[in-house]
Amino acid sequence: MSLVTDSPVHSSSSDGFAAYLDAELDSDSSDVSPEQEAEDDEQEAEDESDSEYKRVKRQKVEEFESIEEHPGSTSDGSLGQNLEVTVTKDTCTHPGVFRELCIRCGQKMEGGSGVAFGYIHKDLRLGSDEIARLRDTDLKNLLRHKKLYLVLDLDHTLLNSTRLLDITPEELYLKNQTDPLQGGLKGNLFMLNTMHMLTKLRPYVHTFLKEASKMFEMYIYTMGERSYALEMAKLLDPERVYFSSRVISQADCTQRHQKGLDVVLGQESAVLILDDTESVWQKHKDNLILMERYHFFASSCRQFGFNCKSLSELKSDESEPDGALATVLKVLQRIHSMFFDLELGDDFSGRDVRQVVKRVRKEVLKGCKIVFSRVFPTRFQAENHHLWRMAEQLGATCATELDPSVSHVVSTDAGTEKSRWALQEKKFLVHPGWIEAANYFWQKKPEENFPVNQKKNQ
Amino acid sequence: MFFHIVLERNMQLHPRHFGRHLRDNLVAKLVKDVEGTCSGRHGFVVAITGIENVGKGLIRDGTGFVTFPVKYQCVVFRPFKGEILEAVVTMVNKMGFFAEAGPVQIFVSNHLIPDDMEFQSGDMPNYTTSDGSVKIQKDSEVRLKIIGTRVDATEIFCIGTIKDDFLGVINDPVTS
Repeated sequence: MSLVTDSPVHSSSSDGFAAYLDAELDSDSSDVSPEQEAEDDEQEAEDESDSEYKRVKRQKVEEFESIEEHPGSTSDGSLGQNLEVTVTKDTCTHPGVFRELCIRCGQKMEGGSGVAFGYIHKDLRLGSDEIARLRDTDLKNLLRHKKLYLVLDLDHTLLNSTRLLDITPEELYLKNQTDPLQGGLKGNLFMLNTMHMLTKLRPYVHTFLKEASKMFEMYIYTMGERSYALEMAKLLDPERVYFSSRVISQADCTQRHQKGLDVVLGQESAVLILDDTESVWQKHKDNLILMERYHFFASSCRQFGFNCKSLSELKSDESEPDGALATVLKVLQRIHSMFFDLELGDDFSGRDVRQVVKRVRKEVLKGCKIVFSRVFPTRFQAENHHLWRMAEQLGATCATELDPSVSHVVSTDAGTEKSRWALQEKKFLVHPGWIEAANYFWQKKPEENFPVNQKKNQ
Repeated sequence: MFFHIVLERNMQLHPRHFGRHLRDNLVAKLVKDVEGTCSGRHGFVVAITGIENVGKGLIRDGTGFVTFPVKYQCVVFRPFKGEILEAVVTMVNKMGFFAEAGPVQIFVSNHLIPDDMEFQSGDMPNYTTSDGSVKIQKDSEVRLKIIGTRVDATEIFCIGTIKDDFLGVINDPVTS
């Protein structure tokens, strides 16, 4: 491909120049026109008189300066040829494709293969080997900085949104409070007129992100649309310091209605997930830390079938110092410090954060022995009930029969035999909500707060 | 690479523009229509530098519009494989970085970044040598070599490399 011959020094009229360009483009830069070949030969003859060493050196210099320095020479044309040959010679594995071009050798690649990474660039696809390689190098890098990955869900985890259409009359006062200068909601409530949405950030979210960013490389992963996800990322992270381009939305998912870590460039053994929906993470339940859903708006409560007044209607909100985000931050800090525990040596690469999560979870109800009463339907395999499994994951021992070692009786009805036994023996008698609360808050909650209602069933 | 060439285009003009300023109107419309566009054959039209000639107009049946064949000189920009370009970095990530040379987008994968440069995440992701002397981040200016081009009807994309002698950062971003 001879580029230099097109320089203005040679062409007297632009007509001939255009014609030359056309001819050049037709040849499509891969095959050499006869005229050009002749010129190349001349150049080579000249070069042969030089020593071999000089020639190599000169070619390298020409690579950068020939355009300015040798307007008449075509030697860099032949150089271009040489380069093409070397590129095709070493077999490229085509690690990824950008706009149908291999990202390593620049060759045209037909047909899309590999996983699309639309959130990084809309036309980027990577092969599985390349993903593994990137994850590997990235993990080493991250562990050196003592960081892990954290994947965050948006709706009901970090914030709550509602359409303007769905606002109830009791919530109308909110519309006047979206001005961040007004005290009440301290810039946590946003009106997005272009999207017809009202968004409320969860209390404590700013502190949460700030603290978490010291321990984690954070991703946003939402089932919402991309435009919505980016808008929310802007609200959460106006200076783009936490997430940068790591915002994954529905369109990036490889499976419908499922979130997967395959599009996250992080080793699964170092990823933690915060989400309020367990079912979308079928393949990565061990990485998941389940969050209590945040319902601020009435429409969101209705959507999940609650008929009570929403926080917005009560003009109240989650507590900032004791809310779900503050609680989970403490858990994250604990997991982080356990993962990077220096007493176990300073090689972190073999560790698995999923094991750490399991260990931390097991300590929550450690030492409790639980008997259930009128919680499971009759003839239901007790061991398979989600509360039973939840209690076991939290470190409690579950039993079906009463004995003196039992510490808690979980019941929906104070009138059953087991409940009465608990009262008699001064054991804790608690509502099933006690286990669920322990699951969300990662700590044993005071048993007094979960009394079993006696009058209801008598 | 830039070229100064002559191109031809058929311009349709509404009859209300006829009169003393017909030629001016025609040129203004041409500039508006053509500058900044991209054709797969010639690359991006950067600027129109002159009109060679305006041919005889042809009245269209029914509409009254008139079509003029216009020959014009223009500067076009088209990247070639093997060409060295200077570009501004627009985005840096684990996979490499994106840069722009005028209207052309170039992707440099981390396979084609020298091995001694490592990715550093953070609020300003960058590639840095172990001694910290060279840093590629957003808004850095780099000199790169194009190893592959893909020319669409309206856009041109390139794959570039900086893994070669004399390639790499030429200017750090201006901090003002």
